[in-house]
Amino acid sequence: MTATEERAEGARVRGARGERPRGMVVIGRRLALPMSRAALLVGVGIVLALVAASVATLTMGKLGVPLGELPTALTGGAEGKSLFVLDRLRGPRLVVAIAAGAAFGLSGALFQSVTRNPLGSPDVIGLSGGAGAGAAVVALKMPDVPVSLGALVGAGAAIALVYFSTGTGFRDPGRLIVAGIGVAAIALAITQYVVYAVERERATALTAYVNGSLAARSWEDARDIGLALLVLLPLTLALARRLDIGEMGDEIAAALGAEPKRTRTRAVLLSVLLSAAAISVAGPIAFIALTAPQIARRLTGGSGAHLLLSALTGSLLLVLADLAAQQLPMDDMPVGIYTMAIGGLYLGYLLTREWRKGRL
Amino acid sequence: MTSDERTGAPAEATGKGLSARGVTLSYGGVPVVRELSLDLPHGGLTMIIGPNGCGKSTLVKALARAIKPDAGTILLNGTDLRAYRGRAVAREVALLPQSPLAPEGISVRGLVRRGRYPHHTLLRQWSPEDDTAIAFALERTGLTELAEARVGELSGGQRQRVWIAMVLAQQTELLLLDEPTTFLDIAHQYELLELCAELHREGRTIVAVLHDLNQAARFASHLVVMHEGRVVAEGPPAEVLTAGLVGEVFGLPCDIVPDPRTSTPMVVPHAAAHRDRVRG
Repeated sequence: MTATEERAEGARVRGARGERPRGMVVIGRRLALPMSRAALLVGVGIVLALVAASVATLTMGKLGVPLGELPTALTGGAEGKSLFVLDRLRGPRLVVAIAAGAAFGLSGALFQSVTRNPLGSPDVIGLSGGAGAGAAVVALKMPDVPVSLGALVGAGAAIALVYFSTGTGFRDPGRLIVAGIGVAAIALAITQYVVYAVERERATALTAYVNGSLAARSWEDARDIGLALLVLLPLTLALARRLDIGEMGDEIAAALGAEPKRTRTRAVLLSVLLSAAAISVAGPIAFIALTAPQIARRLTGGSGAHLLLSALTGSLLLVLADLAAQQLPMDDMPVGIYTMAIGGLYLGYLLTREWRKGRL
Repeated sequence: MTSDERTGAPAEATGKGLSARGVTLSYGGVPVVRELSLDLPHGGLTMIIGPNGCGKSTLVKALARAIKPDAGTILLNGTDLRAYRGRAVAREVALLPQSPLAPEGISVRGLVRRGRYPHHTLLRQWSPEDDTAIAFALERTGLTELAEARVGELSGGQRQRVWIAMVLAQQTELLLLDEPTTFLDIAHQYELLELCAELHREGRTIVAVLHDLNQAARFASHLVVMHEGRVVAEGPPAEVLTAGLVGEVFGLPCDIVPDPRTSTPMVVPHAAAHRDRVRG
């Protein structure tokens, strides 16, 4: 964050010469990127909260690394119990939560921007359910196929089903939700069937594919989702401007040269890939994709897709939810159950609000 | 589109400005403009009139590359639009469609700034000209004071001015406006038309779709009349707008009298009772 602050500082110096670009970070003659003060403040705030939540995740509870030992433990001085907790129990789990949360947040921001509606979110319209079903089928029935491939195929199939069954593509939010309910139900049935058909002793691990869970994540999972983010995040950010222009309607976007149709296709594709990547390591954790972009938008009060802030908010939400899952006396209940309970309330609120505004 | 048609450039490829050559356009799969050819006078203030569904809006969208022709070509400065990159067209031609969507929570300045998009690149999303262009656009539309207000909180008339400011900030030679006066009260309608006339005097080429024939006749330097997907008449308003044409195209019996202020043709529809008497 300090680098960005320095850049903001640079913009201010430039401003002193009378050329003050509002809400812009200017470096040299070639680089000028949007960065409003509000967004910067919110970003710093979320990062601080994320750091605090991460520290809490590593230190709280009976098994937690004592706070005083954390700095040495993190810099390679961990041994015994601390090493086990950091390296096996909570370290990878935390990294997966941060990365998967970011992927969910981005996926939601992309889809909500494309549908121009908060309800056009991957978890509302059945994309997450489809990815979960795909992951479950592959993990339990086809052990030779990578889980992520199953999630991707499931997500793709679900989104194609939604697209064609609405009859209007992704345009009408009401139809999207109705189609999404149907697709999500089919996906859940498939997942439940697979879980039911598999032997009982594996059944506990399987709830992960129904609700989403971060228990017992490995460094391989962290690496997988990390790599996926590394590739998909820059591609998503490169789309940001066109997404913002697209929110003004296809005609004006086309007249401004922002290629709305191509932008939409790319955004949907990236959203599917991000969701599938997150779901293949964490299961279909509900409502992070729905809520993170909305919270980011509320916090800055501005317009646009807020991609980076949505990602950060997604990370924070998932880390917090998983902290609750680990520390509440419920025997490490899958984190997806918590997000479902809280996110469900929010979905209800959104539905009522959109319906009152006559947008459903 | 065969390569033959594509390379077979129109013989009379004109110089500056926009032209349509044998353009066929459809809307939702239904053809609404058929083999239309039209030259929009460079430096002119062209008004396009015609009854509902005559294809005037569709034509204007195609001229700004917002929809693609099924057949025929649209030429910008003598070159096929398809040969341009999207943002290159957007630096020459700006379009204000009928119902643009204001993103939630956006400020007036934020929305006007989006008109600068074609002048930016991925890594350089600001240029020194932005501030002057935005200031100019806000000033000409009388929005300087409202620059930080939220678009959603403005009145319909103010909001329309914000959209005009957005296309002005685009700083294009050509402005295409699709029914820009629709949601405005009569005073604001004239205010907007005066602004168009001023910009025209300053050298911009303006094309506007209008419903009000008297306003079109008063402000246009060139009038284009469309009917059922074709251009049925074009030229100076005084020559084009006749009682016969209005009767034929709009199905409205009327008299044409000179506008007492500008002497441009003014349509005075026959009263219904009178019309019945005429029909006998």
